Amino acid sequence: MGGRRVPAWMWIASAIAFLFLYLPLVVVVLFSFNDSRLNATWVGFTTSWYGKLFGDERMLAAAWNSLLIAVVASLASTVLGTMAGFALSRGRPRILGFLVFAPIAMPEILMGVALLMFYVLLNMTLGLVSITLSHIAFCVSYVAIVVRARLAGMDESLVEAARDCGASPPLAFRHVTLPLILPGIVAGALMAFTLSIDDFVITFFTAGATASTLPLQIYSMVKVAATPEVNAVSTLMLALTLLLITAAARVAPGILRINQ
Amino acid sequence: MKPAPKPARRAAAGMSIAAMSITGMSILALLLVAACQKQESAQGGAATAGASAQNAPAAGGGTLNLYNWNDYIDDQTVKRFEQQFNAKVVQTFYSDNDEMLAKLAAGATGYDVVVPTGNAVEAMIRRGDLQPLDHAVLSNIGNIRPQFASLPYDPQHQYAVPYAYTVTVIGYNDAALRKASFPPPTGWEAIFDPAIACKLKGRITVLDSPDEIFAAAFYYLGIDPNTTSADDYKKAAATITKAKSCWAAFNSASYSKEMAAGNIWMALGYSNDFFLGNRDAQAAKQDFHIVSVLPQQGATLAVDNMVILKSAPNPKLANAFVNFMMDGRNSADLSNLIGSGAAYKTALDFIKPEVKSNQAVFPPEDRMSSFHVLRLLPPEIRQERSRLWTEIKL
Repeated sequence: MGGRRVPAWMWIASAIAFLFLYLPLVVVVLFSFNDSRLNATWVGFTTSWYGKLFGDERMLAAAWNSLLIAVVASLASTVLGTMAGFALSRGRPRILGFLVFAPIAMPEILMGVALLMFYVLLNMTLGLVSITLSHIAFCVSYVAIVVRARLAGMDESLVEAARDCGASPPLAFRHVTLPLILPGIVAGALMAFTLSIDDFVITFFTAGATASTLPLQIYSMVKVAATPEVNAVSTLMLALTLLLITAAARVAPGILRINQ
Repeated sequence: MKPAPKPARRAAAGMSIAAMSITGMSILALLLVAACQKQESAQGGAATAGASAQNAPAAGGGTLNLYNWNDYIDDQTVKRFEQQFNAKVVQTFYSDNDEMLAKLAAGATGYDVVVPTGNAVEAMIRRGDLQPLDHAVLSNIGNIRPQFASLPYDPQHQYAVPYAYTVTVIGYNDAALRKASFPPPTGWEAIFDPAIACKLKGRITVLDSPDEIFAAAFYYLGIDPNTTSADDYKKAAATITKAKSCWAAFNSASYSKEMAAGNIWMALGYSNDFFLGNRDAQAAKQDFHIVSVLPQQGATLAVDNMVILKSAPNPKLANAFVNFMMDGRNSADLSNLIGSGAAYKTALDFIKPEVKSNQAVFPPEDRMSSFHVLRLLPPEIRQERSRLWTEIKL
């Protein structure tokens, strides 16, 4: 297909925008291999920061916590968020829309403090469980929005046709609705995963004395002792995220396309 | 737009949602149980480790939850404590006093020992967050150096004893200043007198902190840094505004790296940042040193303290830890690690010469009196100062 010609200024504008977005990431990756504690000048190539990272128990424990929380929170919030998306697309009850969107509009710090006070009220020990529950609480909204958007674009008559042909409601859901909205669900799950794994503010308030996550760990290091170890762990996170997106695109092609 | 759903379809939709919620809820429950068990097994492990140590010292066993600044205790020190008391130390970190205060104010519990800076101790005492230290356990209390034995926010050590200290001083790049034929600074005029500071225009940074900058300006002007006169604050603000044109930036986060990279030649900053910056510069084989100097007019001393929270799960072990950290060797470990000052007499014997030779942190006895501790300001002065600070920054 020929397509319309894109004017040059648009190319330049997008090039600048992408440069602005990705150049810092390139720098982070590059300096994770720099043979110097300073993130300022290139000295020489080394992988010693990765070696140091893998010997750093606290960092590894934090990374493991982050992964565990993100996996559990994204799975749980995908299930709950998908259900919320269905309810929203049917428009009942009215208050639901407000309830689902409030956590997105609310400042994170408010939600963090509120959750902390709530846990304290329940006399709950802060730790992995409290962080995971909090992450589910805000991820649900994002999944719900994505799923609802997908449902809004779905042709209802397909489900009706399935029903007319004798499919029971669960069967119609499994074979018609679910495949149609799957890209939305997976996109929602990916979004929940990324939101959970890099959340700082809410995690800060709901984390207890025993468990830390990667963002908390990195943030507390940046002020006093930022070393290229932080770059190394960021590079690994970046690689993991890219891997996830690629895997998702393999499993369900078309997922990364916003419109059908 | 959407046709009203037929009753049959409405029921169908209800069913599929019900079916989904049951699956969803059970998955969720399973996952949460798994997560809980993981955590409990971790805690259980610690508990059994403690229980097997009945014949350890009296306070031994269990877990000490330390809420600390990052990289603010040597790993060897932690191991030594764990062995000696058959306990486990779990650390979580904060990067700002206000951050820690906010979290505790919202009701977070589970921490035993916290390491707040002087001002924050004052706030925590007023809020009733702290429990008194058990002086029967603190056998090392006599080890505190006289200059740190009666700090104004808690002179009797009812709630707090020093952990480590830093001094807000001037740090400079020796080779760059020599090349610029700028004499090594000796006092605050190097930062605040435009006739001097502007010779290094664009090569100076100062901390992005009204506490520190106003205090430094007061030393320069010969005013008590704990003044509560609005006029004094106006005078200091005028001085700062005049000098500002010579400075490259207000920077608290990266000045030590910038100095180690050779971009910034002189800074108003914390003594241990200059220490770490110099260590980085030497490791990067730079051809200069970063030197700290204690300005002759005086400098601000910031003491971090150990306190035990009222809500501490393990106060016995907490007191044992506080006493342990007052021991010279343990206190010295930290100085050797990050170049901070040690507030304990016997620590001085264990501190490496390259750390102890830093005259800005370990000055000769007769200059110890030039250290000043900042107090909490009355609200109206605080407000006036914020207003002036905003004007300065604009």
